[in-house]
Amino acid sequence: MAEVICCGRSIREINSEIKSRIRGGDQQITVKDPGARHNLAVAILEPAHVTIEGSAGYYCGALADGSTVEVKGSAGWGLAESMLNGTAIVHGSAGNGAGAAIRGGAVIVHGDAAARAAVSMKGGLVLIGGSCGYMAGFMGQKGSLIVCGDTGDAFADSMYATVCYVGGKIKGLGTDTVREDLSSQDVEFLDATLERYLPFEIRKSKPAGKAFKKVVSGRRLWNFSQRDRTIWQEAL
Amino acid sequence: MCGIVGFLDKTGNHAGALGCTVLGMLDALGCRGPDSAGVALYGAARDGQLVARVALASGNHFEDSAAKIVGAAEKFGAVTDSSITDCYLRFRITGEACIRQLMDAVESVEPGTEVVSLGRHLEIVKQVGSPENLEATYRVSGFRGTHGIGHTRLSTESRVDLSHSQPFWSHGYPDLAAAHNGHITNYHQLRRRYEQRGIRFYTENDSEIIGMYLAGQLNAGRTLEEAFESMHRDLDGSFSCVVATDSELGFVKDQFALKPLLYAETSDFVAIATEEMALRNALPGDYAVREAQAKESRIWRK
Repeated sequence: MAEVICCGRSIREINSEIKSRIRGGDQQITVKDPGARHNLAVAILEPAHVTIEGSAGYYCGALADGSTVEVKGSAGWGLAESMLNGTAIVHGSAGNGAGAAIRGGAVIVHGDAAARAAVSMKGGLVLIGGSCGYMAGFMGQKGSLIVCGDTGDAFADSMYATVCYVGGKIKGLGTDTVREDLSSQDVEFLDATLERYLPFEIRKSKPAGKAFKKVVSGRRLWNFSQRDRTIWQEAL
Repeated sequence: MCGIVGFLDKTGNHAGALGCTVLGMLDALGCRGPDSAGVALYGAARDGQLVARVALASGNHFEDSAAKIVGAAEKFGAVTDSSITDCYLRFRITGEACIRQLMDAVESVEPGTEVVSLGRHLEIVKQVGSPENLEATYRVSGFRGTHGIGHTRLSTESRVDLSHSQPFWSHGYPDLAAAHNGHITNYHQLRRRYEQRGIRFYTENDSEIIGMYLAGQLNAGRTLEEAFESMHRDLDGSFSCVVATDSELGFVKDQFALKPLLYAETSDFVAIATEEMALRNALPGDYAVREAQAKESRIWRK
């Protein structure tokens, strides 16, 4: 277990030390006094486990490929943005755009996420233990978005093929979304995913897989058709 | 990109240096806006007195200008504790003078004079440059009080000078101040409407409209909660704002959540900031921080 101290150092120095420790064979890195600094533990391409002992600022764990970044406090905007693979775990809440544009891996937020969580995700999993804000799942192309609590307005707006599940209330659905019944595979997937990623203390207060609502794209915005003129006008 | 902060001491024991906390928060956001920095701090009121902070006209001899201003103010009540720091004149005035008349009298002494703040509790200090410069010139950190807001500015659409810096006092409405990060896109339209009603604007900064808007709502008998709610209908664009009155601290975020703003509340304090770095820099301890949702607004009372 290696320790990296943030206090008094530039973010470039901190990230360089994290990477050189990993190259030197350390698999467990603890980042001390993070002070909610931006760009912590970005672009780690090895399967090391980096624990941030406090809160992180913007883009924490972004551009990752295979690492696990665990934030003990809260995370700012762009958590794990554009991650290819790996895991980002936040014990507190997350700012806007958590898991934005990820292509794979899992972004797990135990608390709430602010606006546009999982925006334009292209694969992988975004799991919000609490509630999410405005326009979560916007333009989602692939992968799964699970929200255990309530959603904000315009949920899952203008999606391609991301599949969304909501355990609480949907405040408002976005353009071109439809509710679909859960299949037995969906229920299995939800139960297994919650069990895998949420610790029991968090999971016990969440709904069971069968109680979730499923939301997918209505596919009417995928191609333009004169018949769907009104829905296009609404969307634009 | 600007940085805004807000802080309210909930302990009821206001011995803590409010200025130090607000400045500490602002320091961490200096990189978001190096153009100017400012704070609006709320101290203890003295019975039957108002406190004024006046930016003196540049190019004149400050001592002479200050003497003329004090002379003009004395027509409204006894002036005490007058002092000059850099380009600011600060004084207390006894009596329940009509705020607007006093403000007009002071500002008509010399062109370029501006009453930066006036109220029973509120004192605004702002200037071009970083939060460190603000401290170096005005020793803000020693200010004691209940609550306050602050701003660091990255200018995007109007001049960089003291007047255009934030927080803005809602000229004419005692103790109401606001700091804004964002862009009010129907500013010109709203401004024309207010100007037709005879309201004077001091700057070309779109953020100034927020204080004017809130003062209009409060003058019409609405609460700050109601004013925040109607902002979503009446103001277009992106806004994350912190607002303070003599007894309240609040924030409001626009309907698209386009600008960051987060907050933490403990049994001792409420802290609001653009970035969590501001909180962690000024307020040690184990507390949870939460990003505000779209359209969210909250108000705390001292």
